[in-house]
Amino acid sequence: MSVLLLPILLPVLFGIVLLICPEKWFAKKDTGRKKLCILAATALVLTGLLVVRTLFLKDVGEYYILFYLTRKLPVQFHLDGIGKIFATVISVVWLLAGIFSFEYTKHEHKEKRYYGFYLILYGVLNGLCFAGNLVTFYLFYELMTLVSMPLVLHEQTREALIAGLKYLFYSFAGAYMVLFGLFCLSRFCLSNTLTFGAGGILDPTLVEGHETLLLVTAFLMILGFGVKAGMFPMHAWLTAAHPIAPAPASAVLSGVIVKAGVLGVIRVVYYLFGTQFLRGTWVQYTWLTLALLTVLMGSMMAYLEKGFKKRLAYSTVSQVSYILFGLALMEPAGFTGAVLHSVFHAIIKCALFLTAGAVIYKTGKKNVDDYRGIGKEMPITIWSFTFISLALIGIPPASGFISKWYLAAGALESGIRGFAYAGPVILLISALLTAGYLLPITVRGFLPGADFDYTKLEKKEPSALMTVPLVILAVLAVLLGMFPNGLAQMISRIAAAVM
Amino acid sequence: MNPIFLLVVILIPLLGGVLIPFLPFRSRKQFEIYTEVVVIMASALVFLLMLKRPSDPFTLIYFTGDLTISFRMDGLSMVFGGMIAFLWPFATLYAYEYMRHEHNPVGPRHERSFFCFYTMTYGITLGIALAANMLTMYCFYEMLTLITVPLIMYTMSREAILATRKYMYYSLGGAGFAFIGLIFMIVYGNINFQYGGTLNPDLIGNRKNLLLLIYVMAFFGFGVKAAVCPLNSWLPQAGVAPTPVTALLHAVAVVKSGAFAILRLTYFCFGITFLRGTWAQYLVMTAAMITIVYGCSRAVKETHFKRRLAYSTISNLSYILFGATIMTPLGLTAALAHMLFHGIMKITSFFCAGAVICQTGRTYVTQLDGLGKKMPRVFGIFALSSFALMGVPGLCGFISKWYLASAAFESNQVLACFGVGALLISAILTAIYMLTIVIRAFFPKQGFDESSLEGIHDPGLYMLIPLFVFSAVIIYFGIHSVSLLDFLTKVGNGLI
Amino acid sequence: MNFICNFPCFSIVLCIFGGIISSALKGRAAKYLNAFILAVVAVMSACVLGYTLQTGESFTYVMGRFPAPWGNEIRAGVLEGGMALFFSLIMILSLFAGREKLNEEVDPEKMNLYFIMINLLLSSLLALVYTNDLFTAYVFVEINTISACGLIMIRQTGRTIEAATRYMIMSLLGSGMLLMGICMLYDMTGHLLMENIHANVQILAESGQYHIPLMVTIGMICVGLAIKSALFPFHTWLPDAYGYSTVSSAAILSSLVSKGYIFLLLKIIYRVVGFDVIYGSRVTDILFVFGLAGMIMGSLSAIKENDIRRMIAFSSVAQIGYIYMGFGLGTQVAVVASVFHILSHAATKSLLFISASGLVDASGGSKKFIDLTGSGYRNKIAGVAFSVGALSMVGLPLFSGFISKLLFAQAAVRNSGKMLPTLIVLAISTILNAIYFMKTVIRIYTPVESEYPVIPVKRHKVFGLAMVCFIALNVFLGLCSDLVIRLIETGLSMFA
Repeated sequence: MSVLLLPILLPVLFGIVLLICPEKWFAKKDTGRKKLCILAATALVLTGLLVVRTLFLKDVGEYYILFYLTRKLPVQFHLDGIGKIFATVISVVWLLAGIFSFEYTKHEHKEKRYYGFYLILYGVLNGLCFAGNLVTFYLFYELMTLVSMPLVLHEQTREALIAGLKYLFYSFAGAYMVLFGLFCLSRFCLSNTLTFGAGGILDPTLVEGHETLLLVTAFLMILGFGVKAGMFPMHAWLTAAHPIAPAPASAVLSGVIVKAGVLGVIRVVYYLFGTQFLRGTWVQYTWLTLALLTVLMGSMMAYLEKGFKKRLAYSTVSQVSYILFGLALMEPAGFTGAVLHSVFHAIIKCALFLTAGAVIYKTGKKNVDDYRGIGKEMPITIWSFTFISLALIGIPPASGFISKWYLAAGALESGIRGFAYAGPVILLISALLTAGYLLPITVRGFLPGADFDYTKLEKKEPSALMTVPLVILAVLAVLLGMFPNGLAQMISRIAAAVM
Repeated sequence: MNPIFLLVVILIPLLGGVLIPFLPFRSRKQFEIYTEVVVIMASALVFLLMLKRPSDPFTLIYFTGDLTISFRMDGLSMVFGGMIAFLWPFATLYAYEYMRHEHNPVGPRHERSFFCFYTMTYGITLGIALAANMLTMYCFYEMLTLITVPLIMYTMSREAILATRKYMYYSLGGAGFAFIGLIFMIVYGNINFQYGGTLNPDLIGNRKNLLLLIYVMAFFGFGVKAAVCPLNSWLPQAGVAPTPVTALLHAVAVVKSGAFAILRLTYFCFGITFLRGTWAQYLVMTAAMITIVYGCSRAVKETHFKRRLAYSTISNLSYILFGATIMTPLGLTAALAHMLFHGIMKITSFFCAGAVICQTGRTYVTQLDGLGKKMPRVFGIFALSSFALMGVPGLCGFISKWYLASAAFESNQVLACFGVGALLISAILTAIYMLTIVIRAFFPKQGFDESSLEGIHDPGLYMLIPLFVFSAVIIYFGIHSVSLLDFLTKVGNGLI
Repeated sequence: MNFICNFPCFSIVLCIFGGIISSALKGRAAKYLNAFILAVVAVMSACVLGYTLQTGESFTYVMGRFPAPWGNEIRAGVLEGGMALFFSLIMILSLFAGREKLNEEVDPEKMNLYFIMINLLLSSLLALVYTNDLFTAYVFVEINTISACGLIMIRQTGRTIEAATRYMIMSLLGSGMLLMGICMLYDMTGHLLMENIHANVQILAESGQYHIPLMVTIGMICVGLAIKSALFPFHTWLPDAYGYSTVSSAAILSSLVSKGYIFLLLKIIYRVVGFDVIYGSRVTDILFVFGLAGMIMGSLSAIKENDIRRMIAFSSVAQIGYIYMGFGLGTQVAVVASVFHILSHAATKSLLFISASGLVDASGGSKKFIDLTGSGYRNKIAGVAFSVGALSMVGLPLFSGFISKLLFAQAAVRNSGKMLPTLIVLAISTILNAIYFMKTVIRIYTPVESEYPVIPVKRHKVFGLAMVCFIALNVFLGLCSDLVIRLIETGLSMFA
């Protein structure tokens, strides 16, 4: 039990201590900052180690109950494959983005608050991964929104406040749609505590006659979690909130927090309702349509958008819908592709935003058109960026290719009318668009053209604290593509268990 | 325990309060101690009575026929009476500090008379809780209206007088219609409260529709105090009263008396077997649902701090009424749970608002920028109460909402399912109107002038202690509510 | 025949002689004589009441040596004795309370005239209560009219003369119709004694002979008395008359004069025409409708008023509407309610008028509301008394008004046809009453800086004492109503 609770409590405690500590302890310019960073780093590393340890534990069959909210609603924790994978990815991204932010926040203010909430959010996300039933998941989901809001609002400019409120509104609307499901479902399930069970926990005898209600509930829950995952039509908050947060925060928002929504969808579809109930229904078709629509729309908007961070935000919208598409197929290959892409995209998007952060930190330029010749100014940064873009586009042997392969295979295998072919086609179009919005930056960065004033170039490489995480992430992105088997097998086993 | 204590517990605050203007207090301290002692004595006696319940009712006066004024402690009385007894001592403590700063237009004796009426209100609310039959409840209900009038009118400003008048007209008018319900119970049944209703089936005959009409009239009559649409415009206007009044009376005592009366009317007079499935039930359930959404929508648009919280109260009261109109034992349990939890959450919010007004004099939400840094405890607790009102799991608000939704789904009625939708819409609106205040306080806009906050600090202990205690209760019941909810379930099923 | 049986006759004769002697006395002596007579009358009525309760039946007293059906008769039972006692009590209290004001309002030379009128008024009231003969009733109705007119006019200003004239005209109209009705009744039945008429009317009703003339007669009598007792729409004389006369006069006029006529109407319904015939004739439906209309219109007009005494006078119109509504309902229970309301209204209305005059005195003699602000603090006892009266009018439990409302509502519920309009109008009327009475109560307790003199209780002890007695009477009727209602029921059973 403590194995599960420690990764949750440790960062939360550290974070709370940081928030409560009076400002004076960290007031001194450099030593104060150093103290802060060391404290945060300790927390991150310790927790990361704890999480990685769980990877090596066998799936524990038991469910640990912490306390009962009401007679029927325990707060329950459980360790299973999906949880382990997501927790590990979260830890990796969190640690690296954390190290990056030690340098980045030099030109921010109110760092103590930032790190405090950063750590608490880490603990909450771990809780989300280890949640054993819907109530626990929902509890941590709401906490996640509440705790991530200060990160969005950090700059406290007018746009930041509006973006924060938008984030709040959309997130809670989504959460309450899920709540409807929470209220409605317990009567129809085998276990009335809504504990997650592989393959679903609906009781067929109880379900008889209430199918419409349950389908509507399922749809609402998918939409509700889809808000966090930026599925059309509830994506508007994402493109407002992600660009406006400080770059490391955007990295984790785009990389990890949207995956919380994905995890929610996985739990709902595969561990609560079960694919048997949902396959072939209007719920699945609508979901597939929405996902494909988002993929296309996101890529197109990213292509047209000139602001760097906003372009990356639209890219997130599009990429996460790849994952949702894969999940909607309800096929083993699709599922594998989706989870693989969750892992890869987390790493990739985190790196992309960190790059954006580094570029803006060093040059102050936010528009893509201003980035001519930047490759010469920050070579390591832009080279990492290039490899990561290749991974995202899906060029072998980088990781993106593997996940997209599985997705396409899953689509064709599913044999669903129309979508079986439309899926891969749209994925292909989107890949082209992705190339279109990522590669020009690299190209113009290294080869700015004949009419460029080369004398204006200066060396602006950021410090090691920033470049090392970037490089690590780029390497991971490529390596995982070259040696995906361990991960893919693990996921396939999970897929087999739930379908 | 001897039933006469049922009368004694009502008389202690009544007499104690009446004596206040006449006793010669030599200092403010003496006067504060006296009042607090009276209130604590009454509360202690209430808890004692809850532990050792007298089995018989106590009759005070015999009117004509078999109409009597009698008192009794049953399950519902324990819940309502217990809540009032717990909250009143803290509220009195809070009021001491608040009234010190409040503008007193008449003179020092005016403040004494304030506390006189404040304490007497306690006695009368206990009377409503302990009423054994509808006539007693009705009598104390009318008296409650009267005894709270001087409290609302305290500042004697033009606004206050207009608000008082409106309050009086609405309340007395509503009581007039509730009176009709009382009459019918006298004729068609028994006015003594009994779980499951006391209507005599032989007498009803083919007059069912008439009785349903009377029920609806009585519902709206009592519903005036419970601020059901469209009779709720008195409540936001009454926000002009001093905060201890608004907090305790209009978030806890007065409005919950209205809801309590409706619970008695539905479950203990007319009875749910008679009412369930009829057009009357649909009508009142729709009214409750409309109020839920209406209250929240108005709250979002409102910029005056206390009025915003008043609209929030209107909406939350209809949660309780929604639970009542589901008309199942689980519905009653849910309604009672929300009555308790909302009382604590809302009084916390109002006390925080009062602390802000007291310390800074700022009454509008737009003026609260950046105050979170200067009054961290107050705004921290306000944030906690906001989360609780929104229904974040881990705090008590989630528990009562869970029970309400469970009751709605269990009842198998389509309208109730829509009611759950209304609850959720209301939840998102609650998030908006509460969290925007919290965000403003802790994350003011860039370029905000910090010097305008000079000299502002957290209020004194008298105000902070109640806030801390209430926060602890909110968290405690969020995590460990099982024993309390078991008790409420028993009450809901009529076993206590 | 017991000595006590002479008492009714003695009381009437004593009053008449008192009036005659007063014409020769000076003001002060007349006052003391009047007080003495009142005391004696009260004692005698109490004895009659006690005696009839003991024997359990009413007795008939033959005037002179002429037996029925040629001679004159007096009949006394529990109801008559109780009424007489009550009327004399109210008169004593009203005169006490208004004693000091009287010296200011009436010229010293005219003082004995005033007491002549009072004595004549009392005698006519007693006669109306006790008489068993229609013609005697008519004679004393006229005496009543004249003395009432005299009371109004005793204070000679332009307004009172106009009011008195208006009163005279309307009253004579009513008397005229009454006279015509009596003549026609005499024509048809050949008798003037009530029991004899009754027997003949029964025969007529059964045989169907003279059906239309009988109906017309009943109609004329009822309308005639209705005009005299200010039933809507014949009430226009009332506000002027009550509004501008002296304080004691207003109290006595509003409480007692119209009640005498109503009591006569009651007698005619029960003893002359018979319960069934009257209700078969549908005249009572008309009375019912006018009663309902009066309840609403009276209150609406009161809301518009700017002068406190006229407001209270319009309130009387509404209250008389209640009584007629009770008659119109057509059941025994309703009549009991109406009789109780006669008592309750008499007690409350005089209380209101006298306390209003106290408040007016504390505001420099002005009757306008704007000047009355805060007068509750300047004349404390009048303020409290007015509040009690107002609360009783609104129908708050503990006071007599609540019991009246309760009785009326219960009576209405048992009558299926007229139930819903009655209950709804009762509720609306409560709201309307609340509006104007509560507004006034709030106003008199709104503190304001003013130069008006403060009237301490110590200097006006008699006034204070009278107020306390009135309040006690009201509360007695409110709390011990059971006793009173039982007396009324016993009285009604031996009335016919």
